[in-house]
Amino acid sequence: MTTLAPRPRGIEALPGDLMMWVLIVSELAVFGAGLIAFLAVRLTDPLGFAQAQAHLDAAAAGINTMVLVTSGWLAALAVRAAEARRVARLRGLLAGAALLGVVFLWIKWQEYAGKAAAGIDFETHAFFTFYYLLTGFHAVHVVAGIVILALVGWNAAPRTVETGAAFWHMVDLVWVLLFPILYLLR
Amino acid sequence: MSATRAWLALLALSAVSTAIAWQGGAGMAVTLAILVLAWAKAQVILRSYLGLAQAPEWSRGFAMVLALFMLGAMGLAVAAG
Repeated sequence: MTTLAPRPRGIEALPGDLMMWVLIVSELAVFGAGLIAFLAVRLTDPLGFAQAQAHLDAAAAGINTMVLVTSGWLAALAVRAAEARRVARLRGLLAGAALLGVVFLWIKWQEYAGKAAAGIDFETHAFFTFYYLLTGFHAVHVVAGIVILALVGWNAAPRTVETGAAFWHMVDLVWVLLFPILYLLR
Repeated sequence: MSATRAWLALLALSAVSTAIAWQGGAGMAVTLAILVLAWAKAQVILRSYLGLAQAPEWSRGFAMVLALFMLGAMGLAVAAG
């Protein structure tokens, strides 16, 4: 007779590294508070926020959403490859995920350059204060994520790859909430 | 849900939300549709990419906090309209 192992409960049930989850929850709380603050301040000047938002390139941001969720998919596949001990495959997948992160940053940089050329900066309107703070802080996380993906690809241990991919998915999760609230809501 | 199915779902949900926004419409229905689609995308990432589907208790906890955030966002967004 075989005995089934008991299903993990409590903290042990959480997939991956506990400290990464602490970081993920902290980051989500910061971005969540920022987005709620943005929506609350928007109440004071809906017309001004709508006029400011018209300067954003929603198409480029939409492409960036596709880029980032595809990057997250490659990172998720890399975790499966790490579990199967397929080191070359996991490194290729993580390299692809990181490369798409670079594409995301390049598109974001084009967007910032366009705003700068139009004379739009941090102080142009409260909308742009939030825009630069939230998207800039997110872009810094993308940079950090690319470095983390490179490091865990080098190490190639399943647990490490899972932890690095979790950080990357957090970056993805923040963007799918940030994008519609900043770029699409009218 | 496999990682590939999750990715396809995310692409589809993103395409629908962008299409709704490009229609140029405004108002409560469009606002709520865009935020519901964002909510669905966040749930897919939490459950599939981050693996919470394998930890139902944690998944419910994250889903509850996400629901509170999204309902707050919806209330504020509709109030501005």
